[in-house]
Amino acid sequence: MKKKDNKLVMWYKNKKPYSSYILFGIILSVLPILVELKALKYSYLTTIASILIYSIVGLGLNILLGYSGLISLGTAGFMGLGTYLSAYLTADLNLPFELALLISIAVPILVGILTGLVSLRIEGFYLAIATLAISEIFRKVFVEFEVVTNGFSGKKADYPTLLGFIELGRNGTFILIVAILVVIMIITYNLINSYTGRAFLTMRGSESAAKAMGINIYKYRLLSFAITVAYAGLGGVLYMHFVKYTYPDTWTLLLSLNILAAIVIGGIRSIPGTILGSFVVFGVPDLILKRLPIIGQFDGLAYIFNGVLIVLVVLFYPTGLIHVKEKFKRKNTKLQKEEGSYSE
Amino acid sequence: MSIFIQIFLNSLETGGIYALAALGIILIFRTSNTTNYAQGAISMFNAFVATYILIGTNLPVYIVAILGMLSAFVVGVLVDRIVISKTQNMDPVSKQIITLGLLMIFLGLAPMLFGTDPIQFPRFIYGSLTILGATISYNAILNIVVVIILVSFLFYMLQRSKWGLSIRATASNEVVARMMGIPTSIVTMTSWAIAAALGTLSALMLAPSTSVSISMMDGVQIIAFLSCVLGGFQTFHGPVIAAYIIGFASNFISYYISSIWSDPILYILILVVILFKPNGLFGKKMVKKV
Repeated sequence: MKKKDNKLVMWYKNKKPYSSYILFGIILSVLPILVELKALKYSYLTTIASILIYSIVGLGLNILLGYSGLISLGTAGFMGLGTYLSAYLTADLNLPFELALLISIAVPILVGILTGLVSLRIEGFYLAIATLAISEIFRKVFVEFEVVTNGFSGKKADYPTLLGFIELGRNGTFILIVAILVVIMIITYNLINSYTGRAFLTMRGSESAAKAMGINIYKYRLLSFAITVAYAGLGGVLYMHFVKYTYPDTWTLLLSLNILAAIVIGGIRSIPGTILGSFVVFGVPDLILKRLPIIGQFDGLAYIFNGVLIVLVVLFYPTGLIHVKEKFKRKNTKLQKEEGSYSE
Repeated sequence: MSIFIQIFLNSLETGGIYALAALGIILIFRTSNTTNYAQGAISMFNAFVATYILIGTNLPVYIVAILGMLSAFVVGVLVDRIVISKTQNMDPVSKQIITLGLLMIFLGLAPMLFGTDPIQFPRFIYGSLTILGATISYNAILNIVVVIILVSFLFYMLQRSKWGLSIRATASNEVVARMMGIPTSIVTMTSWAIAAALGTLSALMLAPSTSVSISMMDGVQIIAFLSCVLGGFQTFHGPVIAAYIIGFASNFISYYISSIWSDPILYILILVVILFKPNGLFGKKMVKKV
């Protein structure tokens, strides 16, 4: 007779994706305690926090790339816009964090929609070119618009203060990032499984079929780009208030490419895949490659590592690393079946 | 008046540099059906190779430029054989992602092999000339003439030679072209190689006025893409003409409006033009079959 699972395990099994997201969040929330107990280096916590922030941004880009088949090369630019807005609003204008958060997401959405209105009507790759130009404009603004952005000296901000009186420290901000990541994972999951998500899926299968079913491609492309930009803005705000410093040279094309690499390597259209990918792209170079003897000293190693991984994954595992195990399993069962049919 | 002529002559030179880069992008787009985001990085990489040959051997600059283009040719062939030829049956988005991967590889390799410091690159010839009050260097005249001759030669070849015919056939329909006995994989390979060589030449023409560095081609790359957008992706001549238009616009904006904000104004202007002419100035409407 099978033993009955206890209530917690039952709940975990019944509410599958949600409960595992929450479990993931709880495990991450333990990390600051480990740092306090000196079991984990502080620098690891910073690396992990930035990985989580890039995961949030990556989840947005995954909707755009995975479902609309569009590429944005301006992710870093929109993130940078979020950081500067949030820093200006909280540090210079002394607005509350929550309001600054809303504005720092709304403004990128507005700019994103304008970009999308122009570029999404034609072929898909026009968006990539338009965002490339837009992010270059952002960089120029970050450098030259010194009244707000402080130019090349960069801009500072503090840890966030929630509701006006809860002042978060380093660990508190880390837990805030984890909480927001879990919420974003749940929102993304629900979005993909909603009417909108099904429209996205149809669009991916065949644009003509989607059009024939009455799905307005232009509208849904625009929507997916708006979501991407909103997530990037949110990521920017979190980055600003965890790293507490923003600088024009952070928000270059290379960062956009790294975020793209994360979702391609991890797994397109997969929420855990995006997070796995972020750990590979942003974690492995920091935690492993830099510590290698001799070749670890070179600047470009991380980019070569990610670039080679992108090419290999697209060529051989187009669904990403998260599905590699299943692919192997399928291959094995296929082989066994074939062997079986020969012996019979 | 003399200022106007000065800007006009400068624009001819910068427009030519943009035109070479744009021609490289459109060649690859038409034959491989992908926008090659690594074009600028490959050009930058081979400009470094040329600079190192110059430092190492002290050969004349024009021979070094030809050697640099040859090395670009080889890099183009290698990239096509090792990666791009394996992606023939993939959807366009995967191909674009692969070129982004290539971009990261080249951007990582360059600082590893050549260091991060910018290096000076000399002009082909020195001295200058005064026409109607405007000064123009012999080097600029050489660049203008070389670009015009090269572009005309390529267009002549595209229209009249067997090679050009096979490129146009591959561009219009790869499957049918292959059925007609055109070696499409070799056509694609040569267009990658020629595109890389054209990009490297544009990088070396740009190098004396800036310097050879990792980010030297960033701006040119964006403008080359925008000229393809402005000229339309359906023709070979559209992007080249658009590149010259952008060259003129860029110089006039930076002189008459603002030198700091010239690039942002230019980009926004181009995007606004696209809003009204979505297929570009010279493009035809793309027709998709289900």
